[in-house]
Amino acid sequence: MERLQLPAAITAAVLLASAATAQDIVRIASPNPVTTLDPIRSAAAGNIEAFGQLYARLLRRDETGALQPALAESWAVSDDGLTYTFELRAAKFSDGSPLTAEDVAFSLNRVAKDPESAYPAAYAALSEVVAVDADTVELRLEYPAGPMLDYMEIFNAGIVSKADVDARGADAFAASPLSSGPFMVQEWRPNDRLILAANPNYWREGYPLVAGAELIEVSDSNARASMILAGEVEAVRAVPYAQVAEVDAADDVAVPLEPSTVIYVVLPNHTKPPFDDADVRRAAAMALDRQAIAKAISLGMAKAANSTLPEALAFYAADLEGQPYDPAAARAILEEKGLVGTEIVMLAPPDSAQLMTLLKAQWDAVGFMTKAEPVDTGLWWDRLVGGDYNITASWWYNETMDPDLAARWALCGSCGNNSYYTNYNNPRVDELTEAALRELDPEKRGAMYREIQEITVSEVSQVPLWYAPFTNAYSSRIEGLRLTPALQWTLEETRFTK
Amino acid sequence: MPLLRLILARLVQALPVLLGVSLVTFVLMAASPGDPVRLLVGDRATPEIIAVIRERYGLDEPILTRYLVYLKNLLQGDMGASLRYRVPVTELIASHYPVTLFLVLYTIVLSLPPVVALAVVSARNQGGLADQAIRLLGVLGLAVPVFWLALLLSRFFGVTLKWFPVSGFGDTPLEHLHHLFLPALSTAIWVVPILVRNLRAALLDEMGRDYVTTGLSKGLGRRAVFRAHVFPNSLLPTVNLFGIIVAYLLGGSVIVESVYAVPGMGKLMVESILARDYYVVQGATLVFALTTILVMLATDLIAARLDPRVSA
Amino acid sequence: MRRAPALLVAGIAIVAAWGLVALAAPFLATHDPIAINFEALLQPPGDANYFGTDNTGRDVFSRVVYGTRYALYIGLLGVLAPMAIGMTIGLVAGYFGGWVDALAMRLVDVAVPFPFFVLVLAIVAVLGPGIENYFIALALVGWIGYARLARAEALVLRQSEFVLAARTMGFSHPYILARHVLPNALSPVVVYMMTDITLVILFGAALGFLGMGAPPPTPEWGIMIAEGSFYISTAWWIAFFPGLAMVMIGVGFALIGDGLARWLRLRA
Repeated sequence: MERLQLPAAITAAVLLASAATAQDIVRIASPNPVTTLDPIRSAAAGNIEAFGQLYARLLRRDETGALQPALAESWAVSDDGLTYTFELRAAKFSDGSPLTAEDVAFSLNRVAKDPESAYPAAYAALSEVVAVDADTVELRLEYPAGPMLDYMEIFNAGIVSKADVDARGADAFAASPLSSGPFMVQEWRPNDRLILAANPNYWREGYPLVAGAELIEVSDSNARASMILAGEVEAVRAVPYAQVAEVDAADDVAVPLEPSTVIYVVLPNHTKPPFDDADVRRAAAMALDRQAIAKAISLGMAKAANSTLPEALAFYAADLEGQPYDPAAARAILEEKGLVGTEIVMLAPPDSAQLMTLLKAQWDAVGFMTKAEPVDTGLWWDRLVGGDYNITASWWYNETMDPDLAARWALCGSCGNNSYYTNYNNPRVDELTEAALRELDPEKRGAMYREIQEITVSEVSQVPLWYAPFTNAYSSRIEGLRLTPALQWTLEETRFTK
Repeated sequence: MPLLRLILARLVQALPVLLGVSLVTFVLMAASPGDPVRLLVGDRATPEIIAVIRERYGLDEPILTRYLVYLKNLLQGDMGASLRYRVPVTELIASHYPVTLFLVLYTIVLSLPPVVALAVVSARNQGGLADQAIRLLGVLGLAVPVFWLALLLSRFFGVTLKWFPVSGFGDTPLEHLHHLFLPALSTAIWVVPILVRNLRAALLDEMGRDYVTTGLSKGLGRRAVFRAHVFPNSLLPTVNLFGIIVAYLLGGSVIVESVYAVPGMGKLMVESILARDYYVVQGATLVFALTTILVMLATDLIAARLDPRVSA
Repeated sequence: MRRAPALLVAGIAIVAAWGLVALAAPFLATHDPIAINFEALLQPPGDANYFGTDNTGRDVFSRVVYGTRYALYIGLLGVLAPMAIGMTIGLVAGYFGGWVDALAMRLVDVAVPFPFFVLVLAIVAVLGPGIENYFIALALVGWIGYARLARAEALVLRQSEFVLAARTMGFSHPYILARHVLPNALSPVVVYMMTDITLVILFGAALGFLGMGAPPPTPEWGIMIAEGSFYISTAWWIAFFPGLAMVMIGVGFALIGDGLARWLRLRA
């Protein structure tokens, strides 16, 4: 009997312990895996969601989206726009060590210049970041950059501990970093979950409001829906449109449609016939009833897209007319070019069967012969970057409301990503992209981004399909949690209601 | 000691098999298109950055060099590091393997009582109503898609009735049993019919043997003959089948682990294949293979105990 | 004892009925199985669409009917190569014995410890998704079961009187293998094949579920179930009917396998 009692007692104790803490831990199920905790190493969605919890930035955004002081108490910009001076507040890392201007300079120089920095595009204008004294940091720019302050808030501008990285090396750091954000790593179980504990040394006093959080990786959409319905998590990311009504209807769960910068697009291959010809791309765009597609896919939750830039961005051209839905005109173009019956290879990435079906049916109706080839994500990237396809569809989002990074990523042919690897290349667009970054007058910038949108829509650099809101589900046990358009959970302001 | 020698001999035989397995997996993964680094760094990394990281991870070395380096490290007990997570493969396996092992054992434990009961009832009522009903149920269990059934079970028992969790593994053994019940049940539904069919056939074979007729004619009770002779002798083929079933269960864990968000080897394997995380796929396959070999060895040893005619 | 063949006959009848559905698909279908209709999304079963419509307005009934062709195609073709390869290896190994047998068994040893589904996934990752690549994966790993069965039979048959007699009469090995050993080793293999067909269809569907199956808009049941699984509580018919069809065809083959196993054992 005695032998039996011990494990029973342990079991009971563990059960009690977990029961006591479960109430204070916010559990979030997301399909996006956390693969590294080093903010410069990845710009993949799951990591972006985690970086925000681990690393404070110089600035932060409030509920309205306005920039507020964070690690920087105040800042000043020189008249020529080439020098930014930040005054730091007294802050600490999770181990209690002070966060100094040295750490800020190290972190920002690292994300901007380290050859392994995954996404340094925002910092192209930086020549160097210098610690002037213990609590003053100076950003020196080679040329003015309109959205530079915005970039001090994005996911990879988080401040890491120079001492920690230096002492343990980047690999060890990436698995168990010191944190400067609202949470610190309690345990990371790769391929399963990231367990976070409130950082007692977080600069923002009184925050976070909860004891901890778990970011759980669940790739299966149905499993995520079951989890929130069964009350096993407090929030889930990316509920399929088809299940939004069902999940929202459940007691204690709500699916508010949250604004995002996500845009779905058709990507034509500009280096291969037939889509190297703008007229044929126009035909492909005119063949698509974008209103009907957006409605069928999102059950009315998403809005058909008119511009090549996301609706939520500054300088978005709302009045721009996209290509009209005109299958007869599309067919006429194909007939005139003698292209009726042309086979086009369409890469069908995972979880896109519905969209691929609609695209193929509408293109085939105007005279294309669409051959859908299913590919997994790895293969999709290989063939996209290698130009081994005619057309495909995908989505992207922007981490800031400023369109600079968006234009660099999706529309500019000379900015490193070859217009989302479609190899669309219009020198005028490239020139405008660079000029708009350097321009500090918002009105003039607006005119430049307007021209970029006009050119890319009329040349059909991509076919914009729809603007997708986030469909995250939240339990009524918590309040204050949402996902910002920059893919950051507002976990530090989240609290339990019961 | 002959038993020890048998075990040693089998383990030595396993070495070239494992080598073969590792070679095949390595070639398969190296041949698969898709760049692990692209999937790691995210969409917006430029080709230049990807090239830098590929070089640092040694991915541009010729495949033979990479395999030889891998083998050399393997012999020293180093399975390499995950390309995706930059943590040792052994660490990943150590955290995922127990989950799947638990699930497989749980499935077997859950399956055995119904298997024995159904097979015995079926064999004793050969051709009768119960036999036919069990057959039809078995056929149905075999034909239902696991992923479909798993989804229905999770919605009904997890969401509607709230009897069982629909995800995860839990932290204590008690929680494991609770969390893995639905995954184990979903798997048992197709394992049970296969084992029932096998055991029933073996039971019928035994029941037709001379000694049974002799025993009965000598006045021994039907029940007694069945318990003492027929049943033990019929276990042999089912035990033999076990090794193969375990291999299937390991592989089949891919689907239930995905539907129930269980952090086990199946999930690790699928995600690693999709992410082209070469060394994790390598390591996981080797562990799968080793498990199967050990289970086969164990079943052979049990079979030898059950039936002295089986010699090594 | 007579009832065993009754279920066998039932199994054959079910499979034959599905075979007819596959052949007569153009006459049975009420709609084009890949024609989308924005005006009729997610319609419940009714007079216009017997099984309702899916999330692109396609007629589920017509898709289930045409899907029969893919299911049978996957099931029958999927086992063909593994059976041919497995029987050849197994028969040759069992018949000749010696080093040929030892070599074949080493091959089996390497193949057995591979988790089947994982290897299929890996091969599909290498070759790219699609049914044809699924067949290749099956051919590479699915032959083991057939090889073991055929080898066991051949081991017995090589010692049988008619094989020995044929040897003394000077017939060649290939001839004896083809004319005497193969036909006599066939029955357990056919029994196994029936169960294998069920599994191959199910695994094919699971591949569709994991997004590695046939390309859209192919009316393939696994993809229909996967796509419909999101609508399980709002438009249940999208996944229910292909699921039901898959269970029925699976039951058909399983009944044949089960029935054959009993029937042949009785005769032996």
